[in-house]
Amino acid sequence: MKEDLQLKLQAFLDGELPSGEAQAVRDLLAGDAAARDLLVELTNTRDVIVAHEATIKVPESREFYWSKIQREISREEKTAAAPSFSVSAWLRRILVPAGAVAAVAIAVMLTLPHPGAGDFSTTSSEAAAFTYHDYATGTTLVWLDYPSENDFSDEESDDTLDL
Amino acid sequence: MAAMDHSAAPDDALVQAARTGDMAAFEELIARHRDKIYARAYTMMRNEDEAVDLSQEAWVKGWQRLVQFQGESSFTTWMTRIVINLCLDQLRKRKRQRAESIEEMDEESGGVERQMPVVTVNPTERLERAELRVRIDEALGKLSEAHRTVLVLHEFEHMEYKNIAKTMNCSIGTVMSRLFYARRKMASLLQDLKKSE
Repeated sequence: MKEDLQLKLQAFLDGELPSGEAQAVRDLLAGDAAARDLLVELTNTRDVIVAHEATIKVPESREFYWSKIQREISREEKTAAAPSFSVSAWLRRILVPAGAVAAVAIAVMLTLPHPGAGDFSTTSSEAAAFTYHDYATGTTLVWLDYPSENDFSDEESDDTLDL
Repeated sequence: MAAMDHSAAPDDALVQAARTGDMAAFEELIARHRDKIYARAYTMMRNEDEAVDLSQEAWVKGWQRLVQFQGESSFTTWMTRIVINLCLDQLRKRKRQRAESIEEMDEESGGVERQMPVVTVNPTERLERAELRVRIDEALGKLSEAHRTVLVLHEFEHMEYKNIAKTMNCSIGTVMSRLFYARRKMASLLQDLKKSE
């Protein structure tokens, strides 16, 4: 007999088959002696087990058995009540105020005017190079005035064109 | 308000009292049902010391979770589920220690049972009831843990396939297969019993 049919017979016995399938099993049983025999065996086995569960008693006195339970309940309640070190709790205690301070600091920085947001400077009053430094991004830009009208440029030009 | 007579109070009254911290009420509940809870642990574990420890652990958990008990089932059914789960956890730990898993129980062992000749005559009909209980218990002890667990949950706890599957964290098909093999093995063991008379 195929395994799926055996399991179906068992499900029929246990009342776990849908009504349509149960009827199909009844039809099968009517003409299949092996299926009927297997069903008888499964039924006998189930019934005898269900009706004869062993009577098993705790091998300890009521008082002794209870005393161990009571002790464990008390121990666990004390453990639950005692303050315990927890990394996550510690981090929460530290990080929450620190985060608040950081948020305030950032807010202050954003609202205050930025005196050094960016400056222009020149190397000298006559220089042809302008420097812009952006403190926020840490960027420095240098403009060179070309063609230059200053002495250095002229000299360089002269040098270059000195043929 | 008069003090409660714990020994005369029904279970639900004791549960209500225990919920408010009345340990004497809880102790009375334990006294009433400790054998059943211990028996379930013993049937699954087949070891007296483990069964005592696990049943006591179940009572501690029961005390801690009393607020979760909604009364949808009886108090003993609820407590039995707790001890069954503890036993299953323990069996899984034991299996892991032996480098195998309860979910990977070798179903091949059922192959022999599947091909056994069918036992149509009830081999237990002439045995005394007390003796039969002992013999059935011994036969249960010869099953693998996974097969015994399914059998216990189905025959003694009257759980449906789907609930056993959920409790054991396996498929309904596995439950059906294990139950079938367990029953056939039991039939075979009880048949041997008749032959040895």
